[in-house]
Amino acid sequence: MAGRCFLLAVIAVSLVRCIENIENEINDPTPVIYEPSWVFKCLPQMGCQRSAHPETTFTGNSSHVFYDSIDMCRTVCGRFGGIWPKPLTAGLSMQMLPMHPTHLRYDLSDVPAEVRETIAQMTQVASANLLAECGGNVTEVVETPVVVYLVVTSESLELSWDTDEKYDLDIQTKNQKVTVTIKAATVYGARHGLETFTQLITADRPDYSKQERCGLRIVSGARIKDYPAYKHRGLVLDTSRHFIPMKDIKRTIDGMAAAKLNVFHWHVTDSHSFPFESTRVPQFTRYGAYSSSEIYSTEEVRQLIEYAQIRGVRVLIEIDSPAHAGNGWQWGQDYGFGDLAVCVNDEPWREFCIQPPCGQLNPANPTMYRVLRNLYKDLAEALPQPALFHMGGDEVFFPCWNSSQEIVEFMREKGLNQTTEGFLRLWADFHSNILSIWDEELAAVGTENPQPVILWSSGLTKSSYISRLLNKDRYVIEVWEPLDNPLLLELLRLGYRAISVPKDIWYLDHGFWGTTKFSNWRRMYAYVLPKSEFMLGGEVAMWTEYVDKEVLDTRIWPRAAAVAERLWSDPMSTASSAEPRLQRFRSRLQARGLRPDAMSPAWCEQHDGRCL
Amino acid sequence: MKAWGEALTHLPRVGRLRRALVLLAFAACTAAALLYWRQQSYDLAHRPLHNMYSGTEPTWTWICRNDRCERMLASETSTLQSLPTCNMLCASTQLWPQPTGPVSLATAAVPVRADGFKLQVTTTTSKEVTDHLQGAFALMIEDMRTLEKGIGGESRRNDIGSPRNLLVRVAVNGSGDPRMTLKTDESYKLSVRPAGHHLIADITAHSFCGARHGLETLSQLVWLDPYAGSLLILEAASVEDGPKFGYRGLLLDTARNYFPLPELLRTIDAMAACKLNTFHWHVSDSQSFPLRLNSVPQLAQHGAYGPGAIYSMDDVKAVVQRAKLRGIRVLLEVDAPGHVGRAWSWGPSAGLGHLAYCIETEPWSAYCGEPPCGQLNPKNPHVYELLERIYAEIIQVTGVDDIFHLGGDEVSERCWSQHFNDTDPMELWLEFTRRALRALERANGGKAPELTLLWSSRLTRTPYLERLDSKYVGVQVWGSSRWPESRAVLDAGFRSVISHVDAWYLDCGFGSWRDSSDGHCGPYRSWQQVYEHRPWTEEAPLPTGEASAWRVEGGAACQWTEQLGPGGLDARVWPRSAALAERLWSDRAEGAAADVYLRLDTQRARLVARGVRAAPLWPRWCSHNPHACL
Repeated sequence: MAGRCFLLAVIAVSLVRCIENIENEINDPTPVIYEPSWVFKCLPQMGCQRSAHPETTFTGNSSHVFYDSIDMCRTVCGRFGGIWPKPLTAGLSMQMLPMHPTHLRYDLSDVPAEVRETIAQMTQVASANLLAECGGNVTEVVETPVVVYLVVTSESLELSWDTDEKYDLDIQTKNQKVTVTIKAATVYGARHGLETFTQLITADRPDYSKQERCGLRIVSGARIKDYPAYKHRGLVLDTSRHFIPMKDIKRTIDGMAAAKLNVFHWHVTDSHSFPFESTRVPQFTRYGAYSSSEIYSTEEVRQLIEYAQIRGVRVLIEIDSPAHAGNGWQWGQDYGFGDLAVCVNDEPWREFCIQPPCGQLNPANPTMYRVLRNLYKDLAEALPQPALFHMGGDEVFFPCWNSSQEIVEFMREKGLNQTTEGFLRLWADFHSNILSIWDEELAAVGTENPQPVILWSSGLTKSSYISRLLNKDRYVIEVWEPLDNPLLLELLRLGYRAISVPKDIWYLDHGFWGTTKFSNWRRMYAYVLPKSEFMLGGEVAMWTEYVDKEVLDTRIWPRAAAVAERLWSDPMSTASSAEPRLQRFRSRLQARGLRPDAMSPAWCEQHDGRCL
Repeated sequence: MKAWGEALTHLPRVGRLRRALVLLAFAACTAAALLYWRQQSYDLAHRPLHNMYSGTEPTWTWICRNDRCERMLASETSTLQSLPTCNMLCASTQLWPQPTGPVSLATAAVPVRADGFKLQVTTTTSKEVTDHLQGAFALMIEDMRTLEKGIGGESRRNDIGSPRNLLVRVAVNGSGDPRMTLKTDESYKLSVRPAGHHLIADITAHSFCGARHGLETLSQLVWLDPYAGSLLILEAASVEDGPKFGYRGLLLDTARNYFPLPELLRTIDAMAACKLNTFHWHVSDSQSFPLRLNSVPQLAQHGAYGPGAIYSMDDVKAVVQRAKLRGIRVLLEVDAPGHVGRAWSWGPSAGLGHLAYCIETEPWSAYCGEPPCGQLNPKNPHVYELLERIYAEIIQVTGVDDIFHLGGDEVSERCWSQHFNDTDPMELWLEFTRRALRALERANGGKAPELTLLWSSRLTRTPYLERLDSKYVGVQVWGSSRWPESRAVLDAGFRSVISHVDAWYLDCGFGSWRDSSDGHCGPYRSWQQVYEHRPWTEEAPLPTGEASAWRVEGGAACQWTEQLGPGGLDARVWPRSAALAERLWSDRAEGAAADVYLRLDTQRARLVARGVRAAPLWPRWCSHNPHACL
């Protein structure tokens, strides 16, 4: 019904317009219209440049093709057009054809039946993204048929480090009929191909235009081969310092999918709050959520995992422990279970932790392990197999444990000294205990082999200790040390698989507190990971002490996209040569409903290469 | 993964009493737990979910103890109180900016509804003032309605009694001019008291703007209690208040990036919520000219980013109208002679000669501070005719005729030298400024505005400063507070507006938007830095014996937008501009002390409730546990 009304309204508006136009024509002599009217041309060395409308220029140089909008120009200008991240190889035609979503068809006959449903959903996302280019309403109807042939060989829906994300994309136009072929081993490769396909299509509406009229243009010919440099391309989002509603998380995943990031590392809990619902241990949210409406229910988590999967993104849940755990764990005494965590919300906080509120799990209390096992049971059931899990494991503050009589006695019984060495042992024992629990719970849901888990780098992962304390076949280390710290290289040399998140480069919250320095997208782009077979990839991290849903998008985007290109393409070229494509990516995010930050004055966006 | 780097002020710990209470609670818990232990089986897995919580029951309650709100589980106490209510009724005031006169507030609240507010203008000085009062009151009711929309979520709908009606009686004596002018007395008195089943709020002021501030303060005595599902108001209050500085500004640059009209209106609303009174609209620059003037429409035609990146004069009127009702003057700045661009390129084709030189010249670094370049032609008389038309239209549309901003920022001597190698470019600049001032005088009906502002520059330094007339010309000082020339302007007796780059530039700290430089300023100015900047006390004016010659009108935060677009505006500007607002309104000697954190946190929540996407001050847990993060 609403749709029909809308149609009527559109017709009415166009009628009125027609009448107005006629009146204008009758009312001549033409009034002078002081309306800015720019077009864009693609210059081989410079990129896209704004220029006055060709009718009004007197240069007589008509060899240039003029585009009505900067986005149209970018779609075909330069070797990689407007594609982000940069594909491995690309050849693009400079011709574009009008198209309309109603004449776009996906052919899934070469997709195994087992994965057809998934890929159908992926095509729906692609189509929705095309509509978004025109703000949801493609008014210019053309009948150019566009057929997308999807060819997938694997029947597996597994999304893991072993997933083949490669795809080939081919566009040919014959007799005003566009044929698109996307070939990939897996549905996830095909999804990346679909994403690139949408990036070869643009709206034809001029920039800063108020006009309703909007059509789509597709590049008439293309040949692209593409696969990622790194298999782990992540974004960390902390939902404990501030609760981030599901709809904002989903929007963030939309942005990740556009940038071909593939791991949503969900730092869902911390000492501040515990918004993650556990059906077996409802006390976590009961005592740990900011309010009863600020909880991620089991059902919502399931939907999110599915939502992300359709967008080629794996949800990596992190339950940080033994430190960074407090609110949500403070009910043990009430239930006669003893202290599940110690120092929770203790003051003065500087004596018990490095950031308020304090809290650390109590390794002396066997019930704590039982509670954790129940949580792990819930997780093992919720995660798709093979499950990837992040156990946290950073910033254990020994004075907290040392302040607990119970823990000190427990250590004495175990023959551990109250020294750094003793506390490290206690800490390592904790990890080994929870790893066995995790293994057992995974086995219980049918996982045959033990799965690797991820830990943050910490006092435990120092190159001098780590071999004694953590098994390299079981632990992947996420290294957040700053760039000048040798830890990452040392761990790689020792044969530990690693994920790189240098805090001085890839932390999105830096620059707003203390003495931290803001990293702009150029700086993020410039960081090159060390070459090693054990280097799985990297992540860009959004900690949310000073960020909530109001600020989320502008803090993350477009900077996270710079990291995405580093991890997907690992380019040799400079940030400045990537800037026009990133500008296009930014406008694409806007069209898809995100609110990315501006990178430069709009004048620079309209004049490639003029603001160096 | 991170270290908490901020050094916050320590507060003395709450003493023995609390420890005793904790012990007592601990003992009780243990006893309860023991009992519970016997009853319960070991298996957590079979505990039914709905017993633990049901969707809409509040989780937490807050209790005011030792002048601070403490969070407790709602299930563990019989009283249920929401955080905002606890904050409003506990120790400190939650007003922002903090009033400068005596304040006394009740510690009891009663329910109200937006529809139960009535206005009665008891004394007025003109019909215009009355109309403005009605308009301002309508906006306040709109704000209250917006607040009411937040009802839902965790609500128990306790019986809190029926909502009271609130009669707002306003008396304005003094000025019949509703505009915010340099002479406006913004002080006001507010009192709220119960009268039968009603409440009566009395506001008296010497101007419309003062009365409007009174309405703003009144609106800050109202909050949404999420548990009660109702607006509440303090039952009684008395506030006397007036600002320390008459010029409290926010600059927004709409030339580097374009901001659609709703963004501007929202910014005006947020300014009013903090009692800022000057919207300094840096409308044009070398990058773009989005203002479609009726008198010179060619400027937007040649200078705007596109047909949708234009402010029509109706748009400007909408901004001005909203600002007027919010007690804000709109200072519309068309920067000249530098910081102009393609907008001025049409002179030759219109037979007016070159209106500007160096437009988009390369290499830009030789002719301007950032790309693209452009500078007006000081020897073309048509330039001054056009400026006169521009100025006249600005004065006419904004209704501001006592204060004007000429720009005058960052002139490139080299650009002019290229075209006028026989004249000292500084002399050209002086001459340009004189002629622009004359054009302004003509545009203002033959009378120079009382205060015409220029950006600080080489022109506002010796020996040129002495050649400017301090009777009419004022300087907006943007250099670092540590630069001697920033101080020299003040020492020379010029009226000034402070916008020190090292404290009040909101665009700093984002690195460079160009490849080749390392960012023009940094680091990011935190709200604490914004708040604690008090240049008028840091540098004692003049040696003893002479009367204080500094004429500081106030200050302005500057939001330049090289690296800011519409989506990010609110979080960049707020709550930092709120911090500036209190500095300029209250100018309390204290820095960012504990009570400032708590009040600003409340003000931030107010802004968010009104639809302003202000950035948070700290983790949500810290808002939930006031004082615990200090």
